[in-house]
Amino acid sequence: MLQFTIKRLLSLLPLLLVVSFVVFMFIHFIPGDPARLMAGQDASLEEIEDARNALGLNDPILVQYTTYLSSLLQLELGESYRSGIPVIDLISDRIGPSLILTFLSILWALVIGILIGIISAVFRDKLPDRLGMLTAVSGISLPNFWLGLVCIQIFSVQLGWLPTGGVNDGLKSYILPSFALGAGIMAMIARFTRSSLVQTLKQDYIRTGRSKGLSSQSIIYGHALKNSLIPVITVAGLQFGFLLGGSVVVETVFSFPGLGQLLIDSISYRDYPVVQALILFFSVQFILVNLFVDILYSLFNPKIRYD
Amino acid sequence: MKKSLWMLVMLLMTLALVLAACNSNEGNGETEENSNEGNNVESDADGESSDSITVAIEQDFISLDPHDVGDTVSIFGTRSMYEGLVGFDKNMEIQPVLAEDYEVNENSTEFTFKLRENVTFHDGEPFNAEAVKANFERIMNEELRSNRNLQYLENIEILGDYEIKFTLSQPFSAMLNKFAMILMASPEAFSNNPDDFALNPVGTGAFKFQEWKQGDSMVVAKNEDYWGDLGTNVQQVTFRPVPENGSRVAMLQTGEADFIYPVPHNNVEELESDENIVIEETPSTIARYVSINTKKEPFDDVKVRQAMNHAVDQEAFLAVVKSGYGEPLSSTMSSKTQHYAEQELYEANIEKAKELMAEAGYEDGFSAEIWGNTASETNTGMQFVQQQLAQIGIDLEVRSMEEATLSDSIYTPETAEETDLQMWYVSWSPSSGDADGATRSLFHNEFSPPEGANTAYYDNQQVSDWIDEANQTGDVEEQKEIYAQIQETVYSEAPWIFLGSDTILSGYSSSLEGVYVLPDGSVSIRNANLK
Repeated sequence: MLQFTIKRLLSLLPLLLVVSFVVFMFIHFIPGDPARLMAGQDASLEEIEDARNALGLNDPILVQYTTYLSSLLQLELGESYRSGIPVIDLISDRIGPSLILTFLSILWALVIGILIGIISAVFRDKLPDRLGMLTAVSGISLPNFWLGLVCIQIFSVQLGWLPTGGVNDGLKSYILPSFALGAGIMAMIARFTRSSLVQTLKQDYIRTGRSKGLSSQSIIYGHALKNSLIPVITVAGLQFGFLLGGSVVVETVFSFPGLGQLLIDSISYRDYPVVQALILFFSVQFILVNLFVDILYSLFNPKIRYD
Repeated sequence: MKKSLWMLVMLLMTLALVLAACNSNEGNGETEENSNEGNNVESDADGESSDSITVAIEQDFISLDPHDVGDTVSIFGTRSMYEGLVGFDKNMEIQPVLAEDYEVNENSTEFTFKLRENVTFHDGEPFNAEAVKANFERIMNEELRSNRNLQYLENIEILGDYEIKFTLSQPFSAMLNKFAMILMASPEAFSNNPDDFALNPVGTGAFKFQEWKQGDSMVVAKNEDYWGDLGTNVQQVTFRPVPENGSRVAMLQTGEADFIYPVPHNNVEELESDENIVIEETPSTIARYVSINTKKEPFDDVKVRQAMNHAVDQEAFLAVVKSGYGEPLSSTMSSKTQHYAEQELYEANIEKAKELMAEAGYEDGFSAEIWGNTASETNTGMQFVQQQLAQIGIDLEVRSMEEATLSDSIYTPETAEETDLQMWYVSWSPSSGDADGATRSLFHNEFSPPEGANTAYYDNQQVSDWIDEANQTGDVEEQKEIYAQIQETVYSEAPWIFLGSDTILSGYSSSLEGVYVLPDGSVSIRNANLK
């Protein structure tokens, strides 16, 4: 296992090289001139040319890439074109809140989602199942920004229990955003758990267990659930990867200082250094989460081994 | 196996909680630190003191380096802590600030400022002529964004400890407004720590910097050592970027914010019904229009352009696109811009428009393209213009483009012939509120793309000469006359479809006074007072 982990971590490096190249080329080739966007509408042509030269945007693209790569290797992310602020400062301010939000969202989604999934599977086609699946369908179909706004209206404006946004009230600030963000994932997890558990409960070894007189609790929690969680973990892992940078809508509704908003702003201003740094970060994070998920597989199903 | 699963869940939970706890601890720690820093801010349970206020705005500040910001939000962010030699009052008139007095020679080439004595920066450094010079030199040597205000500045001469003279290479009457855009920072701060200066502002203002958590909040606190009359009883002001309209409104309703800007049009009624909330309307310097490429057929015929103006009903535009807030655009600039001269509006008259089209030989109309960005209001606006012009047989295709792509399509082509641009739905606001800023880049024939923002490719030598002439006189009355001629000529030649001028909507708690939005869209907290 250790060997596997190390191998996987090492394979990160070439992958990151490829990612850095693709992202670099991609963002440089889409239309839009950072110098012009930075300088604004009333800038003179001379001013824009000066800015282009200062940013090195007039160099051949491969020269620009090698310059970027060599500073990257020295762990130097550069400065934002737009603000002149070091990229590392921009990211480090937002990384904590983004990580906490993602963790909390996934956490409650997993706990509640699996619970609903189990109840639905056990009481298949009965009332609890229908209620559970109704919750799941609602969770998937309600847009999270709408859910967020409704929550603000109820819990902040009407009841005054929770802040409307920001991160200045400790854990309290995270309740509404993580609820809005996790709702869809909770629903997905509930559905996956249910269908997977329903399949498992049809297996021969479950029937054997039942005929041996095992209680249904020990069948479900002791045998069936563990084997049903593989697809659930896969989904949760993927969602975790998306959440960190993909929660822009929820970040906007809750004026949350997260990475998603920074990425969108940076893309619209063609702030190359920030976009590159963020995408690299998201890639690393995505790969690490996937590695973690792979390791979990072997915990849940000893048949899966990596040695 | 079961155990390890639960172990894992527990581990995740603990991790999340620890992370969350770390974060909130950090927050509390900083609040304590702030109040220890000598401002004696009394904190209640939430860490928010009773004499502090929160201002919710649409975007975060991009930077707080006063010499290197270009967007309105960052500009007013820096103005909350920094001051210039001169500044703008509520009506965007120039007032002396760090200069006690100033003199301008007859042809607007020499500007002499007598500086206030006994002013210190927030770090204790003295403010004097040396400091002023260092600020201007930083901007010019490092070619920072503010440098565009100083394009004619040739020489800076220190006449005494508190007297300084600026000489321009050519007459430039709008220079005083440009001086108002240059804010004075402690030379010690920007020379000792150039990399962190944008994050740690040091000015002379009535408020001084406390902390900036990007994307979350920027806090300033009252400067007890202020050189003049403080004019505020507020200890601490927190700016919070809240991009979502609904959330900003909710913050005002819950009291989490004391002032919000902008207030979305469709929430005005709801907020006005709350007796604890005041909504203020401010006419702005923002002009909305469609620029028409006057070099392309059939737009090269002035009659076609006038016909288009008669076909588009400005009142209806304001009602449909702006929920009734705004003023018709009765000149090439808004009524709040310097030297504005009111023109007679194009009467909304379809018959007249059709006649003009027929006279130009286009009785059957033609088809064309209108460009704009992807904002939903822009889309509504473009569809409105499309529908209005359809009445006179002009078949418009609406093309929404992402901002950067749009900017590329407009500013890359070298000539009017090369460009595909026919019509552009856009707005303009002169950042320093001066007539030159609202005219030269838009109508001077040397400022067509890629050189400037004359996207109508408007080319009238007489107008260009007038623009140059207006710059070269120091006589305000004469300037006024020249700008009146410019506005009359341009308005009648219709290089734009004139649509309207925005009204700024802000909302605040009735216990607050003295916080307001200027016509250029910047928020002033200088005289914030809690009743």
